[in-house]
Amino acid sequence: MTSPDTRGRRRSEALRPASLLAYLVLVVGAVLTLAPFLLSFLTALKTPRQFASQSPLAWPDPVTGENFAELFGGGGFISPVVVTAQVVVVVVVGQLVFSIMAAYAFAWLRFPGRDGLFWLFLATLMVPQVVTVVPLYTMFSAVGLSNTFWALVLPFVLGSPYAVFLLREYFRGIPADLLDAARIDGAGTWTILWRVVVPLARPIVATLGIITVVTHWNTFLWPLIITTGPTWQTVTVATAALQSQYDSNWTLVMAATTVAIAPLLVVFAVFQRHIVSSISLTGFR
Amino acid sequence: MLLAPALAGIVAFLALPILVVAWISLTRWNLLAPPTFVGLDNWVRVLTEPTFGHSMLVTVLFVAMVIPTQTGLGLLMAVLLSRGLPGSAFFRVVYVVPWICAPLALGVVWKWIFAPYGGALNALLGTSVEWLTSPALALPAVAAVSIWSQVGYVTLFFLAGLAAIPGQLLEAAALDGAGAWQTFWRIKLPLLGPTTFFVLVTGVIASFQAFDHIYALTPDGGPQGATDVIAARIYLDAFGSGAFDLGRAAVMALCLFAVLVVVTVLQQRFFARRVTYDLS
Repeated sequence: MTSPDTRGRRRSEALRPASLLAYLVLVVGAVLTLAPFLLSFLTALKTPRQFASQSPLAWPDPVTGENFAELFGGGGFISPVVVTAQVVVVVVVGQLVFSIMAAYAFAWLRFPGRDGLFWLFLATLMVPQVVTVVPLYTMFSAVGLSNTFWALVLPFVLGSPYAVFLLREYFRGIPADLLDAARIDGAGTWTILWRVVVPLARPIVATLGIITVVTHWNTFLWPLIITTGPTWQTVTVATAALQSQYDSNWTLVMAATTVAIAPLLVVFAVFQRHIVSSISLTGFR
Repeated sequence: MLLAPALAGIVAFLALPILVVAWISLTRWNLLAPPTFVGLDNWVRVLTEPTFGHSMLVTVLFVAMVIPTQTGLGLLMAVLLSRGLPGSAFFRVVYVVPWICAPLALGVVWKWIFAPYGGALNALLGTSVEWLTSPALALPAVAAVSIWSQVGYVTLFFLAGLAAIPGQLLEAAALDGAGAWQTFWRIKLPLLGPTTFFVLVTGVIASFQAFDHIYALTPDGGPQGATDVIAARIYLDAFGSGAFDLGRAAVMALCLFAVLVVVTVLQQRFFARRVTYDLS
C-alpha cells in the first residue's frame, strides 16, 4: 500500500545518478545469474549439426525437440525421473510425519531424558554428509540393501534433526491453553497433534515440505555411491553419467540438465514468495 | 511412542555411522576382501603422505576464494536492494534461482560454458582458454561457480539483517550529519554483525564440504590435483579411482569433521567478543 505521493517520490529517486548506478549493478547481476540457464536451454533446443557449425551463442535455428526425444528414448531418462519423483514423495511424507511427531514430543510431552535426547538431535546437525556416506555405504552393503529403493530413502525418511528442531521451536509458540482445552474436551495426544497442532503450524510444515522436495530432488552424493547401473539412478546421477558418456555432445547433455533443473524452476516460480521469505527464516539447508 | 521413528533414524543413520567410520579408519578394507584390523596404520599413512595435506590446502584455498567474495557481493547486492528502488523484489527473486537448483546439474551446465571448443565463455570472449584443464585456472573457475550459485542466498540474509536495523538509529545518524558512506561503515555494518557471523559460519562449513559441482566440473580432482578438495578426495579414495581404500577415506572424513567442529567453535569465540549491541 504505497500512496501516490510516496510512489512519485520513489520514481524521482530512481532517476538520481546514484540510483542509476545501483540499477546498472542490479541488472548486470541479474543477467549474469540468468544467462547460464537461458544459454543451456537454448543449446538443448538446437540440432547437433547447428551446434557443431555455428557459434554456441547463436539462436536455435531450427528449434528442435530431438535432444529431448533422444534423452527419453535412447538416453533412458524416463526411469531416473520416475525414481527421483518416488524418492522425493516417500521422503517428504515420511520426514514430515516423523519429524512432526518427534517435535511434538520434544515441545510438549514430559518424559525422562527429554533434554538429553534433544541435545543428541542438535549435535547430529553438525555431522556432515561427507563423513557419513562411507560408513552408511558399508552398513547398507552389509545387510544387502545397496542399489535398492530402500537405500535411497531409508537414511532420510525417518525424519531430519533440522526439521525436528524448526518444528519444535514453532510448536513451543502455540499457546498451552489451546492444548489444555483440547485435552479437557477429551482429545488424546494423537488427536491434539493432528487436529490442533499441525493445522496451526501449517506455514512451517509447508516450508519444510518445499525445502525437502528441493533438497531430495537435488541430492547427488548418496545416490551416486549407493546405486550402480541404470535401475535406481536418480536424475542427478543419470545427468552425471550422461555427461561422462556423451562428452562434448552438448546439445543432448544440456537437455539432461534442463530436465534436472526445470521442475524446480516451476516449483520456485509457484512458491517463490514462500521460498524467498523462508530462506532467511530457516537457513534452508 | 512419538519419538521412536525419528530417534531410530538419527541413531542408525547419523550417530552409528560416526562409530562405524571410526572403526573403518582402523582397518584395511577394499570392499572385496573382509576388513583387517591395522591399528593406526591408516592415520599414519594419511597424515604423513602428501595427498591429504595437498587436498586440505586446496580446500582452504577454495574456501578463501569463495567466502570473502560471496559475502562481499552478497552485502553489496543487499545494500543496493535495500534502497527500495522499484523492481527490487524482482531482482531479489532472480538472484536466488541458482541456489535452489541441483549443484550437480549447474556444474554440468558450467562445464559446457567453460568448454574450450563450443563453450559459451570462450565464444563470448573470442578465446579458446582451457579453463578447467589449466592448473592455474581450474580452482578459480570452480570457485566462481560456487560464488555464482550462492550470492543470492547470502544477499537474502543481509537484506533481512538490514531490514532489522531500527529506523530511529538511521534517522539519528542523519540528524547528526552522517552521510551514506559513514552510516554504512559506522552503523549498518557493525549492526550486521550477527548476520555476518551466520553467513560466514554456514558458508565456511558448506564450502569445506563442497562436492557436487566440483565433481561435475572436474571429476578426477582436476589438472595436477588443482581442484582435489577434501570431499572429492574422500569420494575418490573410497569409491572413485578403483582403489577402494575405505580406511584412508574414513581417516580423512574424521579429519574433516574435526576441522569443521574447530571452525565452528573458533568462529563462535571470535564473534562472541565482538557482537553484542543492546538496542533496548
